[in-house]
Amino acid sequence: MIRFLPLIWRNLGRNKVRSSLTGAAIALAIALVCVLRTMPAGLDNFLSTLAKNTRISVHNEAGIVYPLPYSYLQKVRSVPGVVEATTWTWFGGAFEEEKGVTFPNFAVDAETIGAVYEDLGIAPEQLETFRRQRDATLVGRLTLQKYGWKIGDRITLKSTVFPVDLELQIVGEIPAAVDPRAWLQREYLSQALEAQGVSFDLVNMIWARVDDADRVNEVMRTIDELFRNSEAETASETEKSFFGNLFGNLQGFVTVILMVTGMVTLCIVFIAANTASMSIRERVGEIAVMKALGFRWRALFGMLVLEAALLATLAGAAGTVITLGLAQALKSVAGFSPQLGPLASFVVTNAMLVEGLFLACFIGIVSGLVPAFGASRRSVAATLREIF
Amino acid sequence: MALPLSYSVRSLFARRLRTGLTVGVISLVVVATTLFLGLLSSLQRTLRTTGSERNLIVMRKGSSNDGSSQLQLAAFQDIRFFEGVARDAAGNPMVSPELVVQPFFRRKDGGRENVLVRGVEPAPALAVHDEVRIVEGRMFEPSSGEVVVGRGVAGRYEGAQLGQTLEFGRGRWQVVGVFESGGDSFESEVWADVRELANDAKRPFPYSSLRLAVAKGADRDALVRRIDDDPRHALEAQPEPAYYAKQAESANTLYVLVVGLAVLAGIGAVFGATNTLYAAVQARTAEIGTLRAIGFSRASILVSFLVESLLTALVGFAVGGSLAWLLGLLVSWALGGVGFGAATFTTSVIQIRVGAGDLGAALVLSLAVGLLGGFFPARRAARLRPVEALREA
Repeated sequence: MIRFLPLIWRNLGRNKVRSSLTGAAIALAIALVCVLRTMPAGLDNFLSTLAKNTRISVHNEAGIVYPLPYSYLQKVRSVPGVVEATTWTWFGGAFEEEKGVTFPNFAVDAETIGAVYEDLGIAPEQLETFRRQRDATLVGRLTLQKYGWKIGDRITLKSTVFPVDLELQIVGEIPAAVDPRAWLQREYLSQALEAQGVSFDLVNMIWARVDDADRVNEVMRTIDELFRNSEAETASETEKSFFGNLFGNLQGFVTVILMVTGMVTLCIVFIAANTASMSIRERVGEIAVMKALGFRWRALFGMLVLEAALLATLAGAAGTVITLGLAQALKSVAGFSPQLGPLASFVVTNAMLVEGLFLACFIGIVSGLVPAFGASRRSVAATLREIF
Repeated sequence: MALPLSYSVRSLFARRLRTGLTVGVISLVVVATTLFLGLLSSLQRTLRTTGSERNLIVMRKGSSNDGSSQLQLAAFQDIRFFEGVARDAAGNPMVSPELVVQPFFRRKDGGRENVLVRGVEPAPALAVHDEVRIVEGRMFEPSSGEVVVGRGVAGRYEGAQLGQTLEFGRGRWQVVGVFESGGDSFESEVWADVRELANDAKRPFPYSSLRLAVAKGADRDALVRRIDDDPRHALEAQPEPAYYAKQAESANTLYVLVVGLAVLAGIGAVFGATNTLYAAVQARTAEIGTLRAIGFSRASILVSFLVESLLTALVGFAVGGSLAWLLGLLVSWALGGVGFGAATFTTSVIQIRVGAGDLGAALVLSLAVGLLGGFFPARRAARLRPVEALREA
């Protein structure tokens, strides 16, 4: 088949307008499929890279916005099997007041956060600075990139929950590519509030790391049992389950996205099939002549299918380039969106691009099969009689 | 002389497969676009139509939404008697003190979501939010463990239908009514007695925000200034539409996304349609030569090909539009609406309604596809020289 490549290439170039129109249409459609796929993939990616089964969230049984007393932290830390525990309190800081909260930010326990999130790959010296420097903040890579902030920069966050503005210095990065969140010291917030005469002894949730994956269920039961019939009963769940639930309300939107992705894919099939059928039909005469010259039908069939596949694959390659540009453009307008959460991270992975390429190639082959089979199996006599 | 319309129609039927595939491409683009636009316009309608021009929302300074605001009893008692606050027929100030909490609810499909529960006093709440109407059952009685639920909530969560019992927070609540408010975001809320809710949630403050109606003819801006400048409470007032418009801003990402995708998909469809028609012109070279030879003008051939292309696009629009409308209903029915996160960390439930505006936009898109996709092939057909065209055949 390789020796026919020049011929296939010439055939593609025969009707340049048609080949380029088809190629452009397929490229656009592949780019759409890839960009749409980044949305559900953003959620999966978030759950698989950031959420662990050995980290558990302990929150009020009634809901995550119902607080827990800060004193619960010590009790959770002393539960057997818990390596370390830390707390999160939603700070709701807005960088630009008129835009509201553009990335999630929390006040955390600086002493213990590193031990609970040892898997995030935060540089040890940055964690150490975060622990020692009162006004320090660690910022997720997604947010750093969005604002073009660098380590050492100073920012002011205006809380939408507490009556304080905090001046912070960025001392480190939370390195995962899809991570938008920022952490600041609970102690810093607490002092700022006390200066205003507000006491601060509540937390939104406690995060605990368990030493052994097999013990997680047992630890969660122990914790919830500990606070049964107390002022705030708790519900514990693994981090995966927590974020899965948190973003579970987006399931309907994901369904719509998947439906639309399917439709765009079907579009590619139609466009490719249309082109293949048009160009093969125009060539029936010449195919008959080639058969009369001694070409086998299998060779002709292969050539026609390969032609469709080559066109679609080249278009798919162009589509992946468009995908990168589109995703970049979307990222610059998007960022953290309360409506979409991690669906709007628009992170394109290499795997997605490779899959897009394979999809294009596969569709090309499929679209060529039927017309190529028909044309290559037609009897020479019948075709030639029709033409002459 | 113009070519008859039936010529264009018959030409379409002469190549059923190609016409069918092109119609397929256009209708798929139309379905995708319409479905997305329908979703987006429903989302925007939900956010933008919430609230009334007459009402102010009062929150603590710096709060971006009433889920994170807090307010003391004294503030409510003071503001009630500010000048410019409307009064009802009985002379009571139309000020609704409200407490927002966001407890877990269990979805019918098993998932768990935060839902906005608004604690209110029945009379002022219904007086201030005059767009809210109880459509089934009745309003709740204070201090009796009763709630009313929005239309979006009723369909989506376990125990949320009229007569059922909801479990949220620490207690069990009897659903005694369902309300509607023209599809806005109140329909994703549950309303309960404000004191009962504060007890249940053990909040250290009684209210999150106030909603108040400005009296007819009163100076709204003066009232806003007076609330903003009051040194005792550090509060901030703004008209409800401005508040909800700010919440809607974060949907802009989605807007850019959807419009961008629709335009790209449209361009792809233009390429596909152009291709088909070029092939048609090529296959019909002899025919076009003949038409020219027997006296049809260039213009009439150009028009006839454009009509052919527009017809394809219109059929595509008809198929795609009706499919999108059906899919919208299907999604709403099967999933109980499409959920989005709201700034309050709760879920807004959107019903996809494919409206006239969305169909109009899809029609414009498909006509543009028809025109653009038809133009170049039609021009080529019109420029064919009869003698050469006939010789080629």
